[in-house]
Amino acid sequence: MKIHLLVLLSLWVVASLIAGCATPPAAAPAAQPTAAPAKPCTITFGAAVSLTGATAKEGEYVKNGYNMFIEDINKEGGFKVGSQKCTLVLKIYDDESNADTSAKLIEKLVTEDKVNLLLGPYGTGPVFSASAIAEKYDVPMVEPGGAGMKIFTRGFKNVWGTLPAAPNYLNSAVDMIMAKDPSAKNVALFIENDSFSQEVADGITAYLKQKGLNLVYSEQYPKGTKDVSSLATAAKAKNPDIVLGASHLADAELVVKQAKDIGLNAKAWAFSVGPSTAEFGTALGKDATYILGVTPWTPAMKFQGQDIYGTPQKFADAFKAKYGYVPSYHSASAVATMIAFQKAIEAAGSIEPKAVREQLNKLDVPTFYGQLKFSPEGIIVKPMGVVQWFDDGNMYTIWPKEVAEKDFIYPAPAWDKR
Amino acid sequence: MSNPKPETQNQKSKMPVTRWDMLLGPRRNIVYVVVCAVALAALLFLPRMSLSGFVLTSLTTALLLAVRAQAWNFIGGYTGYAAFGNVAFYGLGAYGTAILMTKLHWPFLPAMLIGGVVATVYAVIVGLPVLRMRGQYFAIATLGVAEATRELVSSPQLSKLTAGPTGINLPFFRPEGLSGAAAAAVGSRYFYYVAVGLLVFVVLVTWLLTRSKLGYSLVAIREDEDAAKMLGINTTWAKVAAFAMSAFFTGLVGGHYAYWRTFILPEEVFNVRYTLEGILSAVLGGPGTILGPVVGGAIYDAVSTFLTFSKPFGIDLGQFHVTILGLFIVMVIIFLPRGVADFFGRHKFSLGMFLENVRQNRV
Amino acid sequence: MTILLGQSLVNAILLSGMLALVALGFSIVWGVLKIINLAHGAFIMLGAYVTFTLFNLYHVDPFLTIPISMLALFLLGYLIQAYVINWVIRAPLLVTFLLTFGLDIILINLALFVWKGDVRAVGPAYAGTGLTLFRDPLTSQGIQVPYVRLAAFVISLVLAGLLYLFMSYTKLGRAIQATGQDKDAAQLTGVRVAPTYALTFAIGAALAGAAGSLISVMQPFDPNMGGGYRLRAFIIVVLGGLGSIPGVILGSVLFALVDVLVGISPLAPLKDGVAFAMLVLVLIVRPTGIAGKAFY
Repeated sequence: MKIHLLVLLSLWVVASLIAGCATPPAAAPAAQPTAAPAKPCTITFGAAVSLTGATAKEGEYVKNGYNMFIEDINKEGGFKVGSQKCTLVLKIYDDESNADTSAKLIEKLVTEDKVNLLLGPYGTGPVFSASAIAEKYDVPMVEPGGAGMKIFTRGFKNVWGTLPAAPNYLNSAVDMIMAKDPSAKNVALFIENDSFSQEVADGITAYLKQKGLNLVYSEQYPKGTKDVSSLATAAKAKNPDIVLGASHLADAELVVKQAKDIGLNAKAWAFSVGPSTAEFGTALGKDATYILGVTPWTPAMKFQGQDIYGTPQKFADAFKAKYGYVPSYHSASAVATMIAFQKAIEAAGSIEPKAVREQLNKLDVPTFYGQLKFSPEGIIVKPMGVVQWFDDGNMYTIWPKEVAEKDFIYPAPAWDKR
Repeated sequence: MSNPKPETQNQKSKMPVTRWDMLLGPRRNIVYVVVCAVALAALLFLPRMSLSGFVLTSLTTALLLAVRAQAWNFIGGYTGYAAFGNVAFYGLGAYGTAILMTKLHWPFLPAMLIGGVVATVYAVIVGLPVLRMRGQYFAIATLGVAEATRELVSSPQLSKLTAGPTGINLPFFRPEGLSGAAAAAVGSRYFYYVAVGLLVFVVLVTWLLTRSKLGYSLVAIREDEDAAKMLGINTTWAKVAAFAMSAFFTGLVGGHYAYWRTFILPEEVFNVRYTLEGILSAVLGGPGTILGPVVGGAIYDAVSTFLTFSKPFGIDLGQFHVTILGLFIVMVIIFLPRGVADFFGRHKFSLGMFLENVRQNRV
Repeated sequence: MTILLGQSLVNAILLSGMLALVALGFSIVWGVLKIINLAHGAFIMLGAYVTFTLFNLYHVDPFLTIPISMLALFLLGYLIQAYVINWVIRAPLLVTFLLTFGLDIILINLALFVWKGDVRAVGPAYAGTGLTLFRDPLTSQGIQVPYVRLAAFVISLVLAGLLYLFMSYTKLGRAIQATGQDKDAAQLTGVRVAPTYALTFAIGAALAGAAGSLISVMQPFDPNMGGGYRLRAFIIVVLGGLGSIPGVILGSVLFALVDVLVGISPLAPLKDGVAFAMLVLVLIVRPTGIAGKAFY
């Protein structure tokens, strides 16, 4: 029986050796990044992104964003740190869309790979985990993929995010609808049982109340549910003018499909996540028409930035040339995190964490992604734009008005009249 | 239906039953104790070896897996009731700890203990009806309980207490007067030692169980529940006790996780993955033995880590990580259904043992 | 209010047909082989992807892909049973449980590798269209009966009927029943157990494939879609009683009714929880299910 212990012990040693990877365990735990880079100087960024698993697609968008930016900026010599230019190196791992793995990998990046600064993963769970490790080791992290306010209300000093806060997601869409039709008062809200979606729902519920709209139906459905026809049926009985969804892509598609099945009609439809990505249109075809999505960035927005790309269109063109498809906001958000670091490092004149932190907090600079400015909690202060699907099968930016490609079509006709 | 069960070679028999026992002779108990002490000392000494924070964290994860596997062993291994819903206790332990620390500002260790108690109470309440079922029904009923618990905890109805789907942020572990790497090192060690403590605790309790009347009752229930009842064993009480013990330790691990990770989200902390890892580790190592699950946990964690990090022949296994784990499970189940403990139980160690296992179980 | 209830009733009936198909394959495997096939959800998922692939690449109408997905899953099921599961069939419950669980993982991750984790949908032009019953001339609202769901309902009943006929009136079907009732006695009468097991499992998989094909048109899916259906299958089989096709249908109807009614009530977020409470209740009060233990 106790021979198990010998086996256990040897397995432990083997496990820790394997876990420690090829390099022997670090002798000195000097995880504090160097104050000034030596010549020739490089800045090493570390990131754990979901390249496999549930959010593999978005993870890939993020990774491509990081890689393209690093390549382009290195062509110009890298970041300006004080009087010299330092090239960038990225050490990236696959966190398999798993929060625990993300934390493990970030810890490895900091303690064994000795990265200087951290870039965030994609997805609420991994961002929660990874940011906790960044805070543990006091290494600044800017993340492109977590919009939950709860990530930022932990009093952490080392985390910044480039996606606008979840509670504000649907505000622009509601504003736009109200501007178009002040008589549309009744709202039905479908809420996914998920941390991000719940925050979106809480935020929009308060906003609706503030603006004097009536929430006639509001119901939560289990995450990953297969069937929302009961909810659609109950909502239909309340005759809503507007249907809103605090959701992700799969359930947004589900709600639309089953609303059509049940005959739930509305003059306007908007979802927090789903319609802002190309897959939504591919999956739903003509049924996607008229539906609104919210997004922090599209190639059509007319930002003028003081960064390597300058305008959204230039970024989109460069991205398409390199990867063969038009970038989504995930990639833009990812690049924005690196630009945030760039500007902060330039202003600080060093990559020393304390200085970088200070500059990130003070940051206020126009970029191809819009104005890069963080709230005191660390989340970007930026309004969401609105897109709508048109019957040519494409998604167009319709809000803000200054950058609108097309006009908002309202009202959406009933399903049987299309 | 009868459930033929694996032999367990260390069931209190004073007669040598395995070849190791025969090899070591009459002094074997002393040898066992010494080896135990050495292993424990090694575990306690490891952090002083200037290991990187990453290695320490990996070891902590492995330790917690071993505790979860050992906890499952009470109900699954000794009692023979394959519970598939232990993650419910994990989540409840996490939530209990989180709520006590955030709303009532309790310190960590008492909060973790009460988190475990919350899970235990829940296990008793739920166990009384659910343990009446046997075999497959029990297994899926517990799976259902886990799903239902998750839904309940994250529902709007309870969100005043649990914050619903948005989860709870716990206080951050900040040692006095330190920052950066130094603080992180203290943190890593702290959680590592707590995990070691949990492991020692659960192994001790398991050992005590095997020497107690309850332990005998459980094995009797596993071998033949009706006969056990006829012998006058209060099977209901015994089963609930095993279930409660399983819940307690799983809840403790949940509490540890909550504080260690600094946040809990219902979709993370009620993820069925935690149950399955525990069961697989226990089965891999040898259910119904004192240290089987611990060994199984070590092996499982090593394989998992290997798949995540290593690139044999330059092939990135990351995308096949879970597939390979699945294959690994299937292979183990077919060729080694009684776990690694089989190696120590048989009289003759040979490759023929694998084929023998298959022959016993095939159609 | 009556529209609400009426629509809900229609939803429940249509849903029950589809759920019955999901549960039938699971029920047969459990009843005859005495194993709970945790990979059942993966079979459903694979059926959905077969339809998706055929629809997207070759523009085959989804309903016409049903025989193809059934055939594909039949072959897969046969191979799995003959060469993997038959090796552990006499082992204790936990072993077979974990084996099918391992298979489930492998299948899901292979699907993730081939089709990636993207959410897919099968959208023929007629999706979402339907009859409107009791149409109110003022609001032109009524009770919607979507054609796709109606067709799924009919097909499920047809397949259930075919299965019943097969099991009761063909030699193979009766051999399967016999093996389920008493394996050794069946062997004595000349039934070869291993191929019979394989055939049964294959039929179960084929039915799952058909269910998957139907589901693919009704909702978006990804490789992880099977888990929810697996759990529902279990609840329905327990509700209706293991070993009886009418029992499965009854169980589906009951489950669908509860599911839909809870869905329109304030308890909607707890839908799955209520389903499980129902399960536990049945298991305590009447473990043999509503129809009771019948022939296999």
